[in-house]
Amino acid sequence: MVVITTKKEVPEVLEALKDVNKIAIISCGTCAALCQTGGTEGLKYWSDILEEKGYDIVVGAVIEEVCDNRVMKKDLRKMDNEIAEADAILTASCGLGTQSIVEVLSNKYPKKPVITANDTQFMGMTERIGRFYMRCQGCGDCLLNETGGICPIATCAKGLMNGPCGGMVNGKCEVGNYERDCGWVLIYNRLKELGKLDLYTKLREPRDWSESGHQREVVFR
Amino acid sequence: MAYSKLGEMLEKGEFILTGELEPEKTCDLSHTIQEAKEMAPYVVAANMTDSPLGIVTINSLAASAIVQRETGLEIIWQQTVRDVNKLGLAGMVMGAHALGIRNVLSLTGDHTNLGDVKEAKPVFDLDSATFVKLVREMVDKKSINGHEIECPPTLHVGAAANPNADPMEAEILKIGRKAEAGAEFIQTQVVYDLDRTIEFLRGIKKYGVPVLLGLFPMKSYGIAKGFDTFVPGVDVPKDVLSKWKGIKTDITDKKAQKEAYDQANYEFFKPFITELKSKNLLDGVHCMAVHYPRIFPKLVEVIKG
Ligand code: SF4
Ligand code: SF4
Repeated sequence: MVVITTKKEVPEVLEALKDVNKIAIISCGTCAALCQTGGTEGLKYWSDILEEKGYDIVVGAVIEEVCDNRVMKKDLRKMDNEIAEADAILTASCGLGTQSIVEVLSNKYPKKPVITANDTQFMGMTERIGRFYMRCQGCGDCLLNETGGICPIATCAKGLMNGPCGGMVNGKCEVGNYERDCGWVLIYNRLKELGKLDLYTKLREPRDWSESGHQREVVFR
Repeated sequence: MAYSKLGEMLEKGEFILTGELEPEKTCDLSHTIQEAKEMAPYVVAANMTDSPLGIVTINSLAASAIVQRETGLEIIWQQTVRDVNKLGLAGMVMGAHALGIRNVLSLTGDHTNLGDVKEAKPVFDLDSATFVKLVREMVDKKSINGHEIECPPTLHVGAAANPNADPMEAEILKIGRKAEAGAEFIQTQVVYDLDRTIEFLRGIKKYGVPVLLGLFPMKSYGIAKGFDTFVPGVDVPKDVLSKWKGIKTDITDKKAQKEAYDQANYEFFKPFITELKSKNLLDGVHCMAVHYPRIFPKLVEVIKG
């Protein structure tokens, strides 16, 4: 699994950095590296752009798993002098990485802005580098055992529990100009192959949002 | 128990003709009211669409209540699950009853992404089957999630089906779910292919839900051509298109041309419907040709006998 990110447009990032000069860039070496928005590539990309615009890059580092608070605590401690010097931190990571840094630094540096350089898209399945697909939305109540291992929430454009809808034409979905497969036809075909059409004919209850419709956490220790 | 004229006719097993009204992006319903008045003598009820194609129009429930009140024509309120969650839908069902609406057609709704408010959040909290189930719980059990409704609504609830769907079996089995949810009638997508329609109607017969078949009489060659081009998954037969084209090019007198179109519709749909009726596959017809109310007397002839 990879948290899929894409680069923000340069003007948007420059706007967020308009009041600062000295910048520390933290680039994530894990998922974002795979998406070419972080890692050495993302670091070079943003360093070049910001230097050309006259910014002072006080430090640029590629760190594995920026989303892990423990890693960030350890690694940020090692570059505390540079962090102290920087007016702002730019993160070439996913939204989790950016917020991990915010949480780790906010006590010591409550006034230091942490700016994200990326847009986080989804949890993705990798076909190959440059081709990532959303196949799970982390709904909290997995249906895959009932739907032939194909997720209706992520593969149906409407996340329907009882599809296909009237927007299906020849197995394709109305969203995206009939180019993508209808998730519910994929489910039907798969369950048919498995000899489990009884699972397809089952009337499914709506998704229960009572636990997943607000802040979520998993705490077991 | 019947709560409406439609409900009564379904109960008695009488052949039903329904029409369709498509209000637009306006607060003025006078055109819709005019059209409702023109079709009223011929139909049992008319559907009121809910922002089809995701293109925002005046609210369907408001339009349903006003048109029904102004014209006396019974309305089948179409409600999609696209824009409102379960909580909102339940409230609307009670509101609909309070406004005198007694029929609702549960629809998924075209995705917001297709329409003119693409940035809106697509809701789809329920789907078309579970909305049917919600209505039935409210009406039959007089409750929502087991919580009692003091004065419960009484509405008949229907669902949609698409005989053109491919793979067809996926659609047929889905109708089984809608039947299980409690759909009291089915209105289908527009059909032109008799063989497919027969196969589909035979496939869903076992569920025992009355079916009103979607027809789209074509007012002109332009409309027929447009429908063929722009409605995905529904093809207007080639010979129909060429016949309509012939009427457009060969008949210059406007009045004669109109009559020729009306007659051509009659000639196409009469054997179609007669065949389905003879096979005992139909409970009614749902005419989706909006802005073509003058066709209704001919449609009455189509379904006669
Ligand atoms: S049902 Fe779909 S969204 Fe939910 S956990 Fe399973 S794969 Fe993920
Ligand atoms: S066509 Fe299929 S994938 Fe697309 S919204 Fe409808 S059921 Fe979902």
